[in-house]
Amino acid sequence: MVANNGDAFLVVDVGDTETKAALVRRENGVYRLIGTGEAETTLDAPELDVTIGISRSVESLSGGRLLGKDGPEGVKLLCSSSNGGGLYMMVSGVTSMISGESAQRAALGAGAHLVGIFSKDDPRPEYRLIETMRETRPDMFLLAGGTDGGAFNQVLEMASIIKNADIKPRFGASYKLPVIYAGNVEAREEVAEKLTELYATRAVDNVRPVIERENLGPAKEAIYDSYMEHVLTHSPGYERLAGWVDSPILPTQAAIGKMLYTYAERRKANLLAVNVGGSTTDIYSVYRGVFNRSLNAELGLTYGAMNVLKTVGIERIERWLPEAIEERKIRNIIGNLMVQQLEKFSADERRIIGALAREAIRLGAEEHKKLASRLKGINIRRTIADTFSQSLEPTYLDMGDTPIIIGMGAAFNGSLGDSTTLLLDSLEPLYLTELYIDRAGLIPHAGMLLGEAPEAAFSILTGETLQRLGTCLTPYGKGEGEAIRIKLMRQDGNTIDKSINFGEIDVLPILDGETCKIEATSGKGLSLGKGKEKRLEATVTGGVLGLIIDARGRPLTIPDKKDTIKKWAEALPPSGTETR
Amino acid sequence: MAVENKIIIRKTRRLPTFGEVLVKQGEIIREDTIIARGRVRNPELVELRVDQRLGVDPYNLSGYMLKAVGDAVKKEEIIALRRSFFGKSTKVCRSPIDGTIEIFSKSSGKVLIRGDPLPVEVKAHIPGKVTELLPREGAVLECKGSIVRGAIGLGGETHGFLENLVDAPDEVLTNGLIDKTHSGKVIVGGAVATLEALRKAASVGAAAVVVGGVDEKDLTELLGYELGFGVTGQERIGLTLVVTEGFGANPMNPEAFQLFKEHRSGLACVDGTTQIRARMLRPEVIIPF
Repeated sequence: MVANNGDAFLVVDVGDTETKAALVRRENGVYRLIGTGEAETTLDAPELDVTIGISRSVESLSGGRLLGKDGPEGVKLLCSSSNGGGLYMMVSGVTSMISGESAQRAALGAGAHLVGIFSKDDPRPEYRLIETMRETRPDMFLLAGGTDGGAFNQVLEMASIIKNADIKPRFGASYKLPVIYAGNVEAREEVAEKLTELYATRAVDNVRPVIERENLGPAKEAIYDSYMEHVLTHSPGYERLAGWVDSPILPTQAAIGKMLYTYAERRKANLLAVNVGGSTTDIYSVYRGVFNRSLNAELGLTYGAMNVLKTVGIERIERWLPEAIEERKIRNIIGNLMVQQLEKFSADERRIIGALAREAIRLGAEEHKKLASRLKGINIRRTIADTFSQSLEPTYLDMGDTPIIIGMGAAFNGSLGDSTTLLLDSLEPLYLTELYIDRAGLIPHAGMLLGEAPEAAFSILTGETLQRLGTCLTPYGKGEGEAIRIKLMRQDGNTIDKSINFGEIDVLPILDGETCKIEATSGKGLSLGKGKEKRLEATVTGGVLGLIIDARGRPLTIPDKKDTIKKWAEALPPSGTETR
Repeated sequence: MAVENKIIIRKTRRLPTFGEVLVKQGEIIREDTIIARGRVRNPELVELRVDQRLGVDPYNLSGYMLKAVGDAVKKEEIIALRRSFFGKSTKVCRSPIDGTIEIFSKSSGKVLIRGDPLPVEVKAHIPGKVTELLPREGAVLECKGSIVRGAIGLGGETHGFLENLVDAPDEVLTNGLIDKTHSGKVIVGGAVATLEALRKAASVGAAAVVVGGVDEKDLTELLGYELGFGVTGQERIGLTLVVTEGFGANPMNPEAFQLFKEHRSGLACVDGTTQIRARMLRPEVIIPF
């Protein structure tokens, strides 16, 4: 391996089907993306070695020889992976709503795909829990439970159940399943005594040391370490790859989460991001500095398409279609999205994919609300003042206080206008919100760079992959006639006055990156702030589509009339304006 | 959809557990030859609160147990007994099933009894020759033939003689084309099978239907529920279904249609098992020569 001085990074994400490499190099003191390359992931016979796909993805990159027989040459190699569907984890706690939920947050936050959640208060009989643990072979188990000095026997009982289950890991019985214990510190020895013979156990700090506080960091780090040491090494070629990389291989979703959290912290703003892929829908959020991730497995646009239909029913798909399509045809198209891996889509297929994406995100957001919540189990005394405050709301998710929304994944591969209406329809942003998409699909790569070169990470994130669609202004409530009157003052001195009627979506032409002052007033029944303000003065930043006004009110009522749905779908231009 | 014509087909036939292999190296076997036989763990697990039945504290239960973990028990056999009042009062706990004591929890007073292992066997599924023995597990079989891999299927392994009921790949398979003579047959349709045709095929006892397409709505009706995931093979719809192209009316791939036509009345070994995501396993029709 040729030494490098940290000026050049080869950053690779190994997906289920595609391996994507990015070369980032510092030139004149500034990190730049030199190029990206893609190749098929090589984890199926006859090419059973992940490094083959990595080498191919790197071959198309200019910048000289980057990978040799013994690994990277003159660059630092960073890698994330989601092959085989990612990291499959089971979690357990003493109570499902307290330690069980903290364990879930730790596992999901570390990028895992949850395949089993257990607790002592689980209504299923013990033998069913054992059966489920045995049948669902995970990659790793996270056992939590009890505050430090708190519940002891219940933790040991849960450990006994795990022992009796004798769970075998997903990739074979030739190695021990990693079990991370992150519960009551006083039960560590007894838990280890029970589990060490059957499992590769390790103990870390409690995820819930006291009822009022969560401590997810050590459990997440232990998950990353075990993922590298015990899980990835059983996939072909990963042992070799482990010798090439300069830092641990992360689950892809963990790299995304790290980047989004750091971005929200740097912007000092709440953030909500959705990632809709072929088989899963991920939601990430950062509210008041608290990071959460939730995952709706098997809800997606290809492998997960029929499951979206099964979950929401045909009517909820039909309601988003701008033109009526016969039910049998809709069902057949959705079925074929699952069974045929189509590369090109007809107009009807695209419309149905849009409808599926809207419902997948809506379901994902509902699920996310449950997890992104204040810690349960804390005794709260309510006062009269609390009646008027948001502080005791059961979920952090608050669309009226979400200034940044990001769309990621296959659902956002369409036109800019379609991506924007998808975010508006599915998440219903409120008041002022900046809408972005992950245009180049490089958020995981930026996340991997964070630990080594934060400036490079932000350079890739903001300069190469995040595309600002526009700032969106949306009033709350229901109205009629004029919904918003807006005066926009551009930097060149020009002023735009516009009135938008209730039920319409419109766009004001400002340049991407241009900041403008706006003065807006809302019509009858509508407000522009949490205090039911009718008037708003703000400075906004334009995106590729300009400044978007969504005057359909909130909560969004989806009309029966196809004409209106069609008007909404066509309200925004497919492509953007020039960049400032 | 894929057609592999005139190839060597290898199938590994393995028990889900260790058992006895019943065939020999080099032996010529039929599609219904039993390759190996064994016994698998019984999923039935009965939980007994023995502490409550005996009225004792869980931590004192050990002294009343007559059976230990690993012991075999018969139905109605006493597994724990408590005598009190100088033997005048007796409380017992009996096993409700034939099985083995699997778990005894001293902390909860629970005993879990697993039912006796269930017999299981694996058949050849294809005719051919045993080319390799897998000690205690099964064998690798080989035959010459062609394979048609479909888009999605329902139901598991079956076999029967091919019966082409349409003349062209774009024709519709209707219930009027099916009768009692198709019992045990592998029916080949064209572009789509109607719901009524699928029901009729099941009612006359057809082994399988192979067709270009089927409406998703009809599939839901047939199953009685929305499929959801692309993981199939365990459905009980009275036959095995292989959809070669996809949902809706899709003329069957001409190469596949021609292959079925050429082998009319010949043996077809069909498997509807599909795992679209997990292992990319597609349903298949094997035509051995």
